[in-house]
Amino acid sequence: MELLKYIIDKIIYGGGIVFDLAKWLIVFLLIVLIINTFFVSVFFVDGASMEPNLHNREAILWSKNSYHIRSPQRFDVAAVNAPSDPTKKKYVKRVVGLPGDHIEVRDGKVYLNYELLSEDYLASDLKTTFDGVWDLGADQYFIMGDNRPNSNDSRSFGPVEKRFILGKAIAIIFPRFRLIKDI
Amino acid sequence: MEVKRSGKSKKPVVGVYWRKLIFMSGVFALVFLGLSSVQVFKADSIGIDLGSSGTGGGYVDASIKIINIKIKADGSIYINDKRSKYRVNPVGSLEEMRIPVVDNVNNYFSRVTINVELPKDIASSIGHEELLVHSVGSPMTFIPVDANHVTFIASDVSPLATITPVITMPKGTINPPLVVKVLDYLLQFTGIIWVIIGISLPTISLIFMIFLVSYKIRRQKMDIPKEASSFPPMALPPALVGVLYHQNVGARELAATLVDLALRKNIYILDRERDFAFAKNKFDSRLLSFEKILLSKIFKDNIFSNREEIEKRINNHLYSRKISLVTGGIYVLATRLGYFSVNPQQSHRKYQALGIFGFFIGVAGFIFALRQFPDPAYISFFWLGMAISSLVIATVARNIPIRTPLGQEALSSWLAFRNFLASSEKIPFSFSNQEVFQKYLPYAIVLDCEVSWARRFSEHGFEVPSWYMTNQTGMGLQEFCLSLYPIVSYVGRSMAAIREPGFK
Repeated sequence: MELLKYIIDKIIYGGGIVFDLAKWLIVFLLIVLIINTFFVSVFFVDGASMEPNLHNREAILWSKNSYHIRSPQRFDVAAVNAPSDPTKKKYVKRVVGLPGDHIEVRDGKVYLNYELLSEDYLASDLKTTFDGVWDLGADQYFIMGDNRPNSNDSRSFGPVEKRFILGKAIAIIFPRFRLIKDI
Repeated sequence: MEVKRSGKSKKPVVGVYWRKLIFMSGVFALVFLGLSSVQVFKADSIGIDLGSSGTGGGYVDASIKIINIKIKADGSIYINDKRSKYRVNPVGSLEEMRIPVVDNVNNYFSRVTINVELPKDIASSIGHEELLVHSVGSPMTFIPVDANHVTFIASDVSPLATITPVITMPKGTINPPLVVKVLDYLLQFTGIIWVIIGISLPTISLIFMIFLVSYKIRRQKMDIPKEASSFPPMALPPALVGVLYHQNVGARELAATLVDLALRKNIYILDRERDFAFAKNKFDSRLLSFEKILLSKIFKDNIFSNREEIEKRINNHLYSRKISLVTGGIYVLATRLGYFSVNPQQSHRKYQALGIFGFFIGVAGFIFALRQFPDPAYISFFWLGMAISSLVIATVARNIPIRTPLGQEALSSWLAFRNFLASSEKIPFSFSNQEVFQKYLPYAIVLDCEVSWARRFSEHGFEVPSWYMTNQTGMGLQEFCLSLYPIVSYVGRSMAAIREPGFK
């Protein structure tokens, strides 16, 4: 019994020290959680499908609450859960089609609701490949990479529902700071 | 001791012990980075297109792959007779199976057949979607086989391909276990609800603890005297009066002990421009053991200790055993005098143990929720609220009254003396009253009324005490207070912050 009491005393004493140290972290945890959950986070780009606007290994600051307040807007660069594996893979793509839109890819160009879509963020000589026609449902968005010949996007896996769209990319923060709206 | 010093710049009293904060932030950062890898979002390109030509790039032609998926009635999913981590999830008014059955497996398949056994005879009423990413030769084919079996077939599947069959079933097809039902229900709550819960938990804990403390105070039925007593009820070291009043040894008790030691001519307090120091005078045999340890902490083996040396001795430690011995000595004396039946810290131990337990459960749940629940894991606010609630319980519990009847009686007498110290009535000038101010100053510090006590003498001429050495000339009472209080407050707070937090 004495030994047990000694051990319990030691545990509580040691627990006290850990507790005392750990309570300082509450403030830190709280700040990190609130910022990370409600406001912004950072991801690294992996791949070339957003060239020439986002490059491989660039660090992107993205807003997590943008789409809680309002729906994704056309031409937003969005963080998206991959519909093919939403638990593991996340994509960064551009929102091109909104719910109810009629999207057609034909002859290297994108037609939105039967009119040619002007996309000044694309390289001038770039052609959009993989012809097809998509009618978006009430909760569906059409997302594409800016590097059209080399991007897996809604042209291959179809439109995505809003539940897969996580947030909006705001700025490139590494290696050179640029606001996404400027590109 | 919130008197602010004007003119001279003493180091401000720091409310947060930065050393601990920085240390633990470092530990946390390491743990956090270890637990959560940096997020990588794919700008997913097409990759190597092997087309329909079959093998290429040295990949193995595994030819035909057959995958058997069985959806159980409880929503669990078996792949090739092995239980998988996937399950059927509610999505709006439907229940959905979404599994990447082939994902970048580095083998070329001429054909992939996915046979799905449904939990009920609902093949005619399900929805389906075939997601193909990276180089699959042709669209996937969906074939209803019978009432509860369907098949997906893909051909020319490249080594980089991802194939995800999606099946949506009518609501009610799946009857998940209670735990899953509860979790699914909880996950439907919006973020704002979890934030409200996260804020409510500590608030409710705080209100409960305040009620508990009030209830215990009422049960003690201590007489709060209305009249003032102009003399201390008994000769007691100020630190003991402090622990009787606060039930805890903190910065005030340590600061008052320093002033008391100076009054008794054991030490000098030196006030220098932008600095301070302590000097030994004499050590008499009547020093109490906790006072001796406190002095050894300040001076070590020297007879003079300036601010830099004191800070070095304090900052060299995250925790100081000596300061723990000082506070422990004060508790022991208060208990021996019969003011507490057991060491005050020990009697709050059960609340502190509960607080620690809840805190660690909260932190563990918080980390678990961040890792296991879909982003944004709002449910983690519940766990954060729980951790903060535990801190509230452990902190507020210190105020639960634990004095014995003798302790209550003694405190009642000291409160009468406090009424005298905190009175707004000015004390008339006389030479005998000159000494009264400094004599009772340590008691005023531990009874939280040193400013009121000083105000009572504001109409006096003031002579700087012999134990206080300053290079300022013509120092009045206000300047003296604005000079002394920050020094003893800073040293007291710094030392109280490094007390070991064990609950012995």
